[in-house]
Amino acid sequence: MNGRWFALAAAVALLAGVPWFGNAVLIQFGINALLIAVLAQSWNILGGFAGYVSFGNSVFYGLGSYGVAIAMAQWNLPFWVGLIFAATIAVAFAALLGWPILRLRGPYFAIVTLGISAAMSALASNLDIAGKNVGLILPLTRNDTLFYEASLVLLAAATLTVAWIARSRFGMALIAIREDEDAAASVGVNATRFKIAALAMAAFFTAIAGGIHAYWITYIDPAGSFDTTLDVRMVIMTMFGGPGTVLGPVVGALVLSAIYEVLADSISKAAALFFGIVILVAVIFLPRGLVDLGGGFRVLRWRYFLTNIRQYRI
Amino acid sequence: MTKNLVIAAALSLALTGGAMAADLPSTITFGSSMQLTGQDANLGRYYRDAYQLVIEQINKAGGVKIGGKSIPITLKLVDNQSDNNLAVRQYVGLVTQDKVDFLLGPYASGTTIPVSSVSEKYQIPMVEGGGASPQIFARGYKYIFGLLPPADDYFASTLTMLGQLQPKAHTVALVTADDAFDVSVAKGTKKLLAAAGMEIVLTQTYAAKTTDFSSIMAQIKAKTPDIVLWGGLEPEVLNAIRQAKSLDVNPKLLMSFTVGVPAADFRKALGNDANDAFGMTAWLPSPALKDTWFGDAEKFAAAYKAKYGYDPDYHGAAGAVAVETLVKAIEKAGSLEKSKVRDAIAASDFDSLYAHVKFNAGGQVVIPQIVIQIQNGQVTPIFTDKFIGKPVFPVPAWSKRG
Amino acid sequence: MLLVQILVNGVLLGGLYGLMALGMALVWGVLNIVNLAHGAFIMLGGYLVFFLFTAGLDPLVSLPIAMAVLFLFGYVIQRSLLNLIVRSALLNTLLFTFGLDVVLTYLAQLLFSADFRTINPSYAGANFSVGAVTVPVGRLIAFAIAVALALLLYLLLERTRLGRAIRATAQNLDAARLYGVNPAQIYAITFGIGAALAGAAGTLYGIVAQITPYIGVTLTPKSFVIAIIGGLDNPLRIVAGGIVIGVAEAVTSLYLGPTYTDVVSFGLLVLILVLRPAQSLKIA
Repeated sequence: MNGRWFALAAAVALLAGVPWFGNAVLIQFGINALLIAVLAQSWNILGGFAGYVSFGNSVFYGLGSYGVAIAMAQWNLPFWVGLIFAATIAVAFAALLGWPILRLRGPYFAIVTLGISAAMSALASNLDIAGKNVGLILPLTRNDTLFYEASLVLLAAATLTVAWIARSRFGMALIAIREDEDAAASVGVNATRFKIAALAMAAFFTAIAGGIHAYWITYIDPAGSFDTTLDVRMVIMTMFGGPGTVLGPVVGALVLSAIYEVLADSISKAAALFFGIVILVAVIFLPRGLVDLGGGFRVLRWRYFLTNIRQYRI
Repeated sequence: MTKNLVIAAALSLALTGGAMAADLPSTITFGSSMQLTGQDANLGRYYRDAYQLVIEQINKAGGVKIGGKSIPITLKLVDNQSDNNLAVRQYVGLVTQDKVDFLLGPYASGTTIPVSSVSEKYQIPMVEGGGASPQIFARGYKYIFGLLPPADDYFASTLTMLGQLQPKAHTVALVTADDAFDVSVAKGTKKLLAAAGMEIVLTQTYAAKTTDFSSIMAQIKAKTPDIVLWGGLEPEVLNAIRQAKSLDVNPKLLMSFTVGVPAADFRKALGNDANDAFGMTAWLPSPALKDTWFGDAEKFAAAYKAKYGYDPDYHGAAGAVAVETLVKAIEKAGSLEKSKVRDAIAASDFDSLYAHVKFNAGGQVVIPQIVIQIQNGQVTPIFTDKFIGKPVFPVPAWSKRG
Repeated sequence: MLLVQILVNGVLLGGLYGLMALGMALVWGVLNIVNLAHGAFIMLGGYLVFFLFTAGLDPLVSLPIAMAVLFLFGYVIQRSLLNLIVRSALLNTLLFTFGLDVVLTYLAQLLFSADFRTINPSYAGANFSVGAVTVPVGRLIAFAIAVALALLLYLLLERTRLGRAIRATAQNLDAARLYGVNPAQIYAITFGIGAALAGAAGTLYGIVAQITPYIGVTLTPKSFVIAIIGGLDNPLRIVAGGIVIGVAEAVTSLYLGPTYTDVVSFGLLVLILVLRPAQSLKIA
């Protein structure tokens, strides 16, 4: 156990040092990859532990982006005030929205979240304060190290939160909800309260990630902020790494980001195509994620992949 | 393709001999991240084609003349898959890893806005021909220069033309998308219409990327305006024209569109339905536009068509001259120092195949729009500040066309 | 009068929307797969008919060809790939179809380029008047075909042996097996029918709008919304759902402004899901 903690601490220290020994491209890649890892990790709280698949977490990302952008561009407030504002509206939105939508189950929950994200995007393009569909311009900062370290701190905070969840009664309750919600309710788990709390936590981290991204890219518009491809990406990365685990989403996000970056760099024209193929292959051979591969492969060797297919095919 | 350019560059290098000055590099690299795949790929390739053609041409003429030497240009072009985040990362990569000397822009305002922050951050000049949104130039950035004219007065020449035509236009329907560019088209056009004494009977703003315009068409039909002025992106304009036909919407005099009309695939996609549509372009392949490397715009258009098999429009011309602007500025500055070249770009004042290049204080060129009309499947120039072609006017109703 | 014209527009477009959603709803209801590549299937159908059109074939003649080709395509995909993972979590099939969507979209970009393509037979722009209302012929044809295909699907599901097998498989896989149904085969056929319907939708979409490799990006969510609003159990109700959305968009555009159409259609989706208990939207 100690060895594992040591390895983790070393990995974090290594990541934190990137701005000093890495080049500018690595920092840019790091900012993007760390932020998407935050999204995957946040998604994991409700999606991985409680089994509630959201396809609309981009709504919190969008609220976060707009929170920071409105605070900075419209009201001339400093970045950190913008972040607080962004996190507040996102959490409030999650708490208010959670009550009606978290009664829905399975695909219906997934779709309602997707609908909310799309509706919010359309709404933002009609609001004057959000700059309508023209978008908002944020001031330029030259401090990429700040963005990088902020993203890393945020990811560490999200991961520590998930690590806590994994061993807490709260996490047990979420898992009970995932396995059998009705049974959980019958033994006295207040499912609604737990689910709303999980959604609010996800909203908090996702919104701050959106806020950091907005300031980094200096320009936001509705399509880029309430980006539905982001919803798909965070789910894919979590699935790829291993949902309902502490490190799975982070590993999944960083590995997939790296694959995508290498592809975009080397076979520019067909990068997206190969990315799609990677997903297809991963779903077929690794249905429980990259994290499951380690244990499974040790026991079963190459039969691990066949066993996966046998289990789910018809 | 890039590889070929590198080879071409190396060859011309070998030919010019090893007589380089010690402090000058053997090649000057321009970097760009372009939408070669993804949503914007359709227009992104115009810029890729233009960049490659003009660099090839300049290298054929020896390259950039600096300090008595001729240095060939290498183009480092990467595909951003229409992903803004990737585009930003790629520009940072071009600057820091590939160490390109200068930057050429991507396509479209939405991408140009974030990547212009990279050129500003690293203080490397970027010349772009792909984004005209006022947001790019209103930020006080010093290193971004744009070759597409501001959106406000796109319809100015059209309205001047209407003032000289009979019957006179009195009522207008103004339909615009809600993207940054078309919002400023709407704003500017309203002012122009007020000045021209025309009455706006219908204003509609629709969400960018809308595909169904049947409600808007029904309202236009109900208001029977004399003219319809439409500001939107090419796919929207394509749909609008097809739906105008299928719903038999006929303004009394004409319909005019900010974009699409001069593009080759606009005519290809619409076929006969493209006929009689009015539009505008900042550029036509005219022999009157003299150019250092191609001779004139007509010859440029011919070379372009020969190489790529389709006619260039203003996108390609603006892309080509983005390269020329950098080359002229480097030659004038006599150095590769970024700030010197930046100042030389700001002071640009030369004729080119695209237009007379001279930037305003914001870093954007101001070029009047030429009114064009599709006649028999051809782009026909009609009006600059005077008539240069005969318009089909008033445009006949759909039912009366061939 | 303007309102009547707007309503006519909305209904006609809604029929096509319904057809787009039909295949998605069928696959979803029977296989419990939310096919994110559905929009890409529509795109493929559109391209196929476009190329046949440039070769001189009328799109209405190509329509059955497109349906047949897409059926085969869907059948093979399900039989060879999706059947391998069909019993894992909904998420996995979702991811798989997402990957498929990416692959198809970018293959289309590589093979067909990003050019705008239109299927433009003479009747696409034709119209006739009923009183003061203009009826566009292209959209009327699209509407009629959509309704006809929905009816056919309804009859297929309700009146044929195959239909009974499909419905039995949807309700209870094990029970269906006991009755001698081969679920692997039924799944593949169902997915094939879903793809064939997408092929038909693509044909008609190409007649009223243009085709690029990327049209799926907007068509998939639209199909999604309509499948939910219509429910997953009855093809005719799905077309009705399409018409509801078509009319809602047209009326919103008239009274609130065209930038509000997405607020309304997605808002409607959220409201319906929240207000109507999920149980009533029983699957097939």
